[in-house]
Amino acid sequence: MAEGTGISTEMKKIAGCVLWGLISAVAAYFLAGIAIQRDEPVNSMWLVLAAACTYLVGYRFYAKFIAAKVMALNDQRATPAERLRNGHDYEPTNKWILFGHHFAAIAGPGPLVGPTLAAQFGYLPGTLWIIIGAVLGGAVQDFIILFCSMRRDGKSLGEMAREEIGKIGGITALLTVLLIMIILLATVALVVVNALKGSPWGTFTIAATMPIAIFMGLYLRYWRPGKVLEVSVIGFSLVVVSIFAGQWVSKSATVAPWFTFGGIALAAAIIIYGFFASALPVWLLLAPRDYLSTFVKLGVISMLAIGILFVQPQLVMPAFTRFVDGTGPIFAGKIFPFCFITIACGAISGFHALISSGTTPKMIAKESHALPIGYGSMVLESFVALMAIIAACVLQPGVYFAVNAPAGIVGPTEQIAAATITSWGFPVSAAEMHSLAVDVGEKTLFHRTGGAPSLALGMAHIFATGIGGKAILGFWYHFAIMFEALFILTIIDAGTRVGRFMLQDLLGHVYKPLGRTSWMPGVIGTSAFVVLAWGYFLVQGVRDPLGGINSLWPLFGIANQLLAAVALCVATTILLKMHGAKYIWIPLSPLVWLIVVTFAGGWQKIFSPLPQLGFLAQASHLEATIASGAMTAEKIAETQTLIFNARLDAALCGLFLVLVTLILIDSVRLWTRILLGKSEAKVNEAPFVASQLRAEEI
Amino acid sequence: MKALRAFGRIVAGILRELSDENAYARHLAAHGRKHSREEWQHFCNERFRAKYTKPKCC
Repeated sequence: MAEGTGISTEMKKIAGCVLWGLISAVAAYFLAGIAIQRDEPVNSMWLVLAAACTYLVGYRFYAKFIAAKVMALNDQRATPAERLRNGHDYEPTNKWILFGHHFAAIAGPGPLVGPTLAAQFGYLPGTLWIIIGAVLGGAVQDFIILFCSMRRDGKSLGEMAREEIGKIGGITALLTVLLIMIILLATVALVVVNALKGSPWGTFTIAATMPIAIFMGLYLRYWRPGKVLEVSVIGFSLVVVSIFAGQWVSKSATVAPWFTFGGIALAAAIIIYGFFASALPVWLLLAPRDYLSTFVKLGVISMLAIGILFVQPQLVMPAFTRFVDGTGPIFAGKIFPFCFITIACGAISGFHALISSGTTPKMIAKESHALPIGYGSMVLESFVALMAIIAACVLQPGVYFAVNAPAGIVGPTEQIAAATITSWGFPVSAAEMHSLAVDVGEKTLFHRTGGAPSLALGMAHIFATGIGGKAILGFWYHFAIMFEALFILTIIDAGTRVGRFMLQDLLGHVYKPLGRTSWMPGVIGTSAFVVLAWGYFLVQGVRDPLGGINSLWPLFGIANQLLAAVALCVATTILLKMHGAKYIWIPLSPLVWLIVVTFAGGWQKIFSPLPQLGFLAQASHLEATIASGAMTAEKIAETQTLIFNARLDAALCGLFLVLVTLILIDSVRLWTRILLGKSEAKVNEAPFVASQLRAEEI
Repeated sequence: MKALRAFGRIVAGILRELSDENAYARHLAAHGRKHSREEWQHFCNERFRAKYTKPKCC
């Protein structure tokens, strides 16, 4: 019997080795395949299989090694959810339910828009960074921060930074979060503005989601309290009806002009919306919209995954484009560092550290669940980013550049823009673009910078190939636009509200009533301040002749990656205190990479002598143009605003770099003292309490 | 079939968690109260106060 069991265990081991050897070989084969293939279009399944097998290998070997050796996850140890259970924040939750909850919280527009923009370098650089960056960096960061917070009663990143590194760490984390939020809100709002500009169909659909959300709020509050899933189904049905109604609106000579707006008008509308959403009772607009957008987001991501698996589209974008040299029309800068900064959340995101040290650690039932939830969710987010790059690369490169390149680069008219893009080696004609615009129910698809329209086109292409064909391409395009705008607007209203709370908290120290969230003058004043802060950058982006995304997205990418650097400083400090120098290479490797990438990117954005890349060079170039006397008086005033904005962006970028340098110096000083034995390596974990939680309780 | 049912239960669980319906059920159980419009409104006030003071991810 004992011998039989021994043989069986041995057989299982061999079978395991063979299986994992096979998965590793498949991962290597497909990664090599997409890297080497040059002569013909690559099928998207190569990317999907390369990613899936790499994720499996990363999870089975790297993540499990971290879980077992570094964290020593112990299911006998009671988690905060069990020890501090209160039926509210702290509640042991089923592993897979919490996985879905955590994934829904970390999935934002970043992994969709970033890879779409980074496709200007070709499909290969972005794909490789999305896969490798997530497995070795992003997922590791999310997993370690989740673990650290779970062992510290669910403390936030800022609290951990203050406790583990020092006061400077805590203040830096708070300031970085505030600034990144302002840039984030402006950037994603610009994505929506550019998607809806001159589009009555899109504008009507998005406008309709507001009364729909208010209806849902009233339904939940007064008519059917607690029936969130029921009202979400009703809300989603109404949104689909509004997409069809939007088509009618776009064709009506009378109604279409009511919903046709330019960039500035749309920006003003979003700013006003942000103000009201922040100041109105949360149950009326924000919460119901949040429910709706979460379900739509998860549904559409699932649909896209199923669509790609069934349709298996070919990528027509080359592996590398000529723009790896830094002359790209969508954003300036060479493949290093700007590919990595642009992809942002698809590979590693500092914002995830806020979620991993927020609600999730308070709901984990058993310590071992941190592995699939922390590491696994980020890997899934990376897969979402991969789907976005596939959706962008199934478009003809000429179409992709025509949609995403600003008028300031390719030329103001459709004919000139098409000729410019064709001269780059990506053939496209004005007639072809017009025909595509008619198919999707738009007047034009030229100069639609921001990533959302090209992503929507790619998604519509995949969906329409699966269901309905060209006849309903317009529906799918606007369905995708609705999906992107819906959850971006949720980020805007929730973000404005959070910014307001942070500001009220801060101002409450100066004048007490300002800190009270029920004092209306304080609520109105702080809401207006936050809205105007991101609104300023939004208007700056709308007015930018280079499309705005060219300057705002890299700023957002740099800020987000620097927040990840803060999180990895905390992770390195905690692992150093736990094990000495033995395992610090795990968070330190992605930290060093991030520091190199973001400082290189930040430095170039400030000091590059190229006006299309460096903010200061751009300001000097514009000053020289004014000095040459070739401008009208009206144009001079406009240009002076652009000069001020370029300098403001340079200052903000510089501030990000200074903040992270501060926390880095503080961390390195502490690490050195610990390694030299001058500081106590005190681990601030909650004490061990044996778990009493039974399996059937979760 | 069994696996499919288990998958369905997880999806339903995720949807109930995301919709705060699970949290509401926990709230009622924790306080020993019955569902009513007032109770739901009371729960929402508390829930949303905590939920919307944290930034949403990008």
